[in-house]
Amino acid sequence: MIGFLRAVALFIGAMFLQWWWNTHFAYWGAAPQLLLVLTIFIAARRGPVLGMLAGFGWGLYLDVARAELFGASALTLTLAAYSAGVARRQIDLRAAGSLAATTFLLTWVVFIGHGFLGLIFTKSFEWSGWISILVTPFLNAAVVTVAALLWDARGDSRP
Amino acid sequence: MQRETRIANFVLGALAALSLLLLSLPLSTPVRSFKAGAGYLLDPLAYHGEAGYRRLAGAPDRIRRLLEADIENESLQAELRRGQWLATTVSALSLENERLRRELALKAPAGRSPAWAHVMERDPIHWYRSLVVDVGSDRGVELNDPVLGPHEGQLVAVGRVVDVRPNTSTVLLLTDELSAAAAYLSSGTLEGLIQGQDGPRLRMNYLNAEALLSEGDAVYTSPTSATFPPNVLIGRVARVNARDPFLTFQSVEVAPAADASSLQELMILRSRPLAGEESR
Repeated sequence: MIGFLRAVALFIGAMFLQWWWNTHFAYWGAAPQLLLVLTIFIAARRGPVLGMLAGFGWGLYLDVARAELFGASALTLTLAAYSAGVARRQIDLRAAGSLAATTFLLTWVVFIGHGFLGLIFTKSFEWSGWISILVTPFLNAAVVTVAALLWDARGDSRP
Repeated sequence: MQRETRIANFVLGALAALSLLLLSLPLSTPVRSFKAGAGYLLDPLAYHGEAGYRRLAGAPDRIRRLLEADIENESLQAELRRGQWLATTVSALSLENERLRRELALKAPAGRSPAWAHVMERDPIHWYRSLVVDVGSDRGVELNDPVLGPHEGQLVAVGRVVDVRPNTSTVLLLTDELSAAAAYLSSGTLEGLIQGQDGPRLRMNYLNAEALLSEGDAVYTSPTSATFPPNVLIGRVARVNARDPFLTFQSVEVAPAADASSLQELMILRSRPLAGEESR
């Protein structure tokens, strides 16, 4: 029961933190995508199923704010979680470096995926802007590294 | 591992299908309704989150002001305490000043050299016997010097010096049972002997057995007194004792004019002034 409540608190707290960071600490449109980072992190540490469920929920939250492409973020975060879950069978994602590199790459994949979904469903490639494309992956990699270090510092390093 | 993979694939398929369904649907009424419902659920999070953030953003300033107010409060309370202490001191000094002014206006009996003294100590066990004052042989005080005290603008008899040290003296009060002084009653100039009883009252013995005595009569020191100058108030008759048929005199209870427990300054009547001191 406590685990469930903690999960709910994490789910809601992450949404609030994402909104708060993007509202107050975004510079030139660049801010870490906290929900994407957490989705990848959960998939890497707790398996793809949990990561996909969390990513789908958080994706819907992101899609609510969109005028179009309702479901795009849900789909991309779900796929990111699945990809991280597949990747952890091949590489050791418990290490902060490999986790950061995976997050870095998946961030670009998500950006490109969004663009292609826009191309398919609205006939226009959804371009996030050069600053987001170039800066956000680094920010995401940095955030996931910090999250991994904090997670490991708690002594919880279950695969 | 295989089972986890199958579940992951199944979940991926379900969620991807659901996402694609949402994407493929135009923004029709059901989708808009779903978005509106999700927005209704999630908007308070943003709204209250912003309000909470603003409150939290103002917290350091409020805490700083609270701490400043607390420091200021402490300072003001200390200042208030100092002010109250000062007021109390001023009040006490004012009372003392008033009392000393009245005492300075008192004139000592002729032929004597007065020396004012502060009461330093009272014997807690024998309250009515003696007290210690802060002048001694250094100020020319000698044994058996009479001691007077201020009372309602005049000097009244208090006792006599029985012990002299360099800087202090012991005064034996009239109320001590070893004290005795010749005195007379104002109503009929009847002479008697005032004696202490180790209590708040004095006893005046050897009054004429036929005299008519009444309460309230003033009692003064007699010119025949070996210690006190004449005509110094001792007290007033508080009670006339019943006549004893076996005695040849009457007696009365006298309430001393000077309350030994409230005296703070006393006048010691020295036989001569100290060298270099002007006699008053």
